[in-house]
Amino acid sequence: MEELKDKSLHLTAEKLAEELQKMDNYTTFYEDLQVLAASYDVSIDDFKNTLVQAVNKGSMETNLRNAVFHWLRSHENNKQMVVREEITSRESLDYLRKAQITWERRIQKSLESMCEEIGIHLSYYRSKADRDEMLQKWNELSTYNTNLERLRPVYAPKDFLEVLFSLHNPNYRMISDDMIWDFTYLPLKVKTLSELRHLYRDLATADLLLGLTTLTKMSCGSTLQGEQERIALGEKVLEYQHAPVCQEFLKLCAPRSLRGRLWTQILGSNVKSSEQHYTELKERVLNYDMLIDKLITKDVQLTACNDDQYFVFEDVLHQIMLCFTRDTDVLSVFNSSTSHPILTSLKGKPSKEAIYPPNGIIPFHGFTMYAAPICYLFNDPVSLYSTFRAFYLRYWFRLHNISSHPQSILGLCILFQRLLQRHETNIWSHFMSHNIHPIRVVFKWLMKGFSGYLLPEQLLNLWDMIIAYDSLEVLPLLAVAILSFRKDNLLQVNTLQNVDSVLVDLSSLNVMSLLQLALKGPNQI
Amino acid sequence: MVTLFKMFDQISLFIVNLTLTFSFHLTSIFVINMKVTYCTDVDRSVVLSNFEKRGWVHVGPDDDWNFYWAGIQTCRSLFSIDSGYRMHDNQMINHFPNHYELSRKDMLVKNIKRYRRELEREGSPLAKRLDGKYLYLDFIPVTFVLPADYNLFVEEYRKVGPSTWIMKPVGKSQGTGIFLINKLSKLKKWSREGKNFNTSAIKESYVISKYIDNPLLIDGKKFDLRLYVLVTSFRPLKAYLFKSGFCRFCTVKYNTSVGEIENLLIHLTNVSLQKQGDEYNSIHGGKLSIQNLRLFLESTRGKTVTEALFDNIVWLIVHSLKSVSYIMSNDRHCFECYGYDIIIDDNLKPWLIEVNASPSLTSTTVNDRILKYKLIDNMLSVVLPPSGIPDVRWNKCPSREAMGNFELLIDEELAAKDKSGPSIKIDQKERLKRKT
Ligand SMILES: Nc1ncnc2c1ncn2[C@@H]1O[C@H](COP(=O)(O)OP(=O)(O)OP(=O)(O)O)[C@@H](O)[C@H]1O
Ligand SMILES: [Mg+2]
Repeated sequence: MEELKDKSLHLTAEKLAEELQKMDNYTTFYEDLQVLAASYDVSIDDFKNTLVQAVNKGSMETNLRNAVFHWLRSHENNKQMVVREEITSRESLDYLRKAQITWERRIQKSLESMCEEIGIHLSYYRSKADRDEMLQKWNELSTYNTNLERLRPVYAPKDFLEVLFSLHNPNYRMISDDMIWDFTYLPLKVKTLSELRHLYRDLATADLLLGLTTLTKMSCGSTLQGEQERIALGEKVLEYQHAPVCQEFLKLCAPRSLRGRLWTQILGSNVKSSEQHYTELKERVLNYDMLIDKLITKDVQLTACNDDQYFVFEDVLHQIMLCFTRDTDVLSVFNSSTSHPILTSLKGKPSKEAIYPPNGIIPFHGFTMYAAPICYLFNDPVSLYSTFRAFYLRYWFRLHNISSHPQSILGLCILFQRLLQRHETNIWSHFMSHNIHPIRVVFKWLMKGFSGYLLPEQLLNLWDMIIAYDSLEVLPLLAVAILSFRKDNLLQVNTLQNVDSVLVDLSSLNVMSLLQLALKGPNQI
Repeated sequence: MVTLFKMFDQISLFIVNLTLTFSFHLTSIFVINMKVTYCTDVDRSVVLSNFEKRGWVHVGPDDDWNFYWAGIQTCRSLFSIDSGYRMHDNQMINHFPNHYELSRKDMLVKNIKRYRRELEREGSPLAKRLDGKYLYLDFIPVTFVLPADYNLFVEEYRKVGPSTWIMKPVGKSQGTGIFLINKLSKLKKWSREGKNFNTSAIKESYVISKYIDNPLLIDGKKFDLRLYVLVTSFRPLKAYLFKSGFCRFCTVKYNTSVGEIENLLIHLTNVSLQKQGDEYNSIHGGKLSIQNLRLFLESTRGKTVTEALFDNIVWLIVHSLKSVSYIMSNDRHCFECYGYDIIIDDNLKPWLIEVNASPSLTSTTVNDRILKYKLIDNMLSVVLPPSGIPDVRWNKCPSREAMGNFELLIDEELAAKDKSGPSIKIDQKERLKRKT
């Protein structure tokens, strides 16, 4: 028995060691180890034992533990849960896979026709003059001159919603076309409210949640004692640098002053090499001029630049979004999803296929909003970029492709509908009787993780919950809670347009108290 | 874009209407007894719609009015001796007759300098100095009035060495006539050309202030704060701070190079000026809420320093008001809302730039309109007694609900009555302890 345990332990260790070697921070980790091995603490006579001791004493052990934690997190989350209990990390539902492929073709076509229309290629080598200009304006890219007049976003959330609506399960015969939009026929398993209550039990039962109070007072007066204590605790947690402990701490929301560091720890975005990585990405931006740059720039302009909550960050957003397009590490998302990056033959070399854009991601209208709120947390572009990228790789990529993963946009839509139907029956039937599709009301919230709809402070509280509970399911939960909160007004209007106007201004909402309300009440939400 | 605006307009109208129907019930009770009459010479929809909402009746200046929303000129002539006008107990007006003690750039500086000297003479710990600088009262940039203090300025300029200064005509506003200088020769040249130093032409006098050349930047851009401070009495001092202030951003990146010294879009934050730049965006108007500024600062700089900054802002406001409290004619019919302009430097120290007695009530964006509508609404509910009818005999102690988005900065009367409770936001002794 004991022997068997040893053996399995050994195998796990071997597997982990192998995986760790593939991780971003492996090189720095290895270097640290070499430095340690050469230090006085380690003696050549008893090399093994003294080295292990030295590792345990310093920060290396923490780093190692965190690395294992990040590896585990990213692997657990990629398991798929389908009704038939198949567990694969790739899409198992054939018709979803096909739909995704069709959708990707459409996007590719649309890119190509855009190129033709404007008369440019997908990618150029940047001229020296252009390169110099861009380099000079690197910190004020909003003034970098590109003509974007004729450019349109490739697609908007509502286009993507239509694609989801058209999904068709070949195992069912539709009774009528009207029913397509409620996704009933897709065999995705989603949580029930009581399962959500279990998942979010810490949040549901907390007496002191930081996000409940907001920044309304000018002068501070005295901070609540409970808040002081939490900040002190948080400082301590950060000192130890244990990512799992940070995650546990975050479950009750972050103090504003610690949020950036907590996120970095939990997402593992504090890699030493990120500075250098970012410089390389910048170099790649400067070398090539791509259609995708124009699309990204256009998106920053259409969204953050016009937004009174985020306009101050327009330049740094331009910068990090451009770097993002060049980041080939992002391609790792394709290992665990149905989607594929676009392949095109770039001119010049004879019919050489290349992934386009280098990170494989075609931005939709509003894509920038995945990054904008994070600008509040960091002063330097590198930390901002690393955290944004980590967030994207872990969560956001699920929100714009078709998959049966429970955290995919489809899963979240279905979860939203089930919750609304079961727990807000009044609203549900009111919508039904007026032919209003509930999902149309909230889809843009879900697809953008509410970014741009809530005040930044509220939004960051919400994103705390995503990271802390490592799940996007809080998005549909909040969506239902908001409808529930505005129920009286919603029941008085009967067109989609008027419903939208009841929900257009969410600036007065407090996310944490809404979530608590939804989780606490016996049959409420 | 046009349709977008229309949509926003609809929304804000919708919101305004909502508030309208809601508060109608509150005010209607009093209107039964007596209709409040108002008179105004400013045509600002945020003001007028607030009067209408309260069901007030519009009358002319010669009629029997209860509430006058006046421009500063009108107010001054009303209070002038030749007007012979005497207000009765149920009348109220939105300015103090000698507000210029605070709102004129040269007077503000004079008053603050005098206040510091007086405190020093009294041996107050507030006036403590270190290396010549006031420890607690050093909140305005070093400033001289030209031409009167020209020699003093030159002396200071020689002392501090190469530095940038900002010249502002005392009688103008909205950034007009302002320029930066970094060489004494430039000032001499300017004075020769304009013959501005002819001492008889006092009306063209200027203030010259040390330019704050290390402003706090966000993503590389300079901004200043606009805060609203409501004073309902100077003796005893009663003042309130509106919580929804905002930052006004420059549209062009900050740049201290000498070549850019004449580019005012980099250095001056006035909306009226920035509006003329190519990069001006009329959707957000370059305005960021103070809550968001605070979120950013707490997240990136930490809680302690951010709180100290906001404490210091409150401190600066209170002492600027105290510096004029004995000079202001404390007419019980008057109240006034000041627009405070504050610049934060990159050490998170706030500097008082200027106080406006009639801060702009035009709205550049939808949010701006909502904010200013609310400002006036809350202001009215603070200055009016619970009956809703102006009455100078009222003790000017609004309830917490009546304060709305205002928070109490200081109430000397309450403080005197209730020695135990802190009625000034930061207890002075406490603060001295903290600073040293
Ligand atoms: N000492 C200073 N250091 C840095 N910037 C300054 C300084 N003084 C003024 N400024 C900038 O110049 C702008 C205009 O100055 P100020 O508010 O004193 O005059 P004004 O706007 O013309 O007057 P008003 O506000 O009455 O219209 C300020 O908003 C600020 O951005
Ligand atoms: Mg000004």
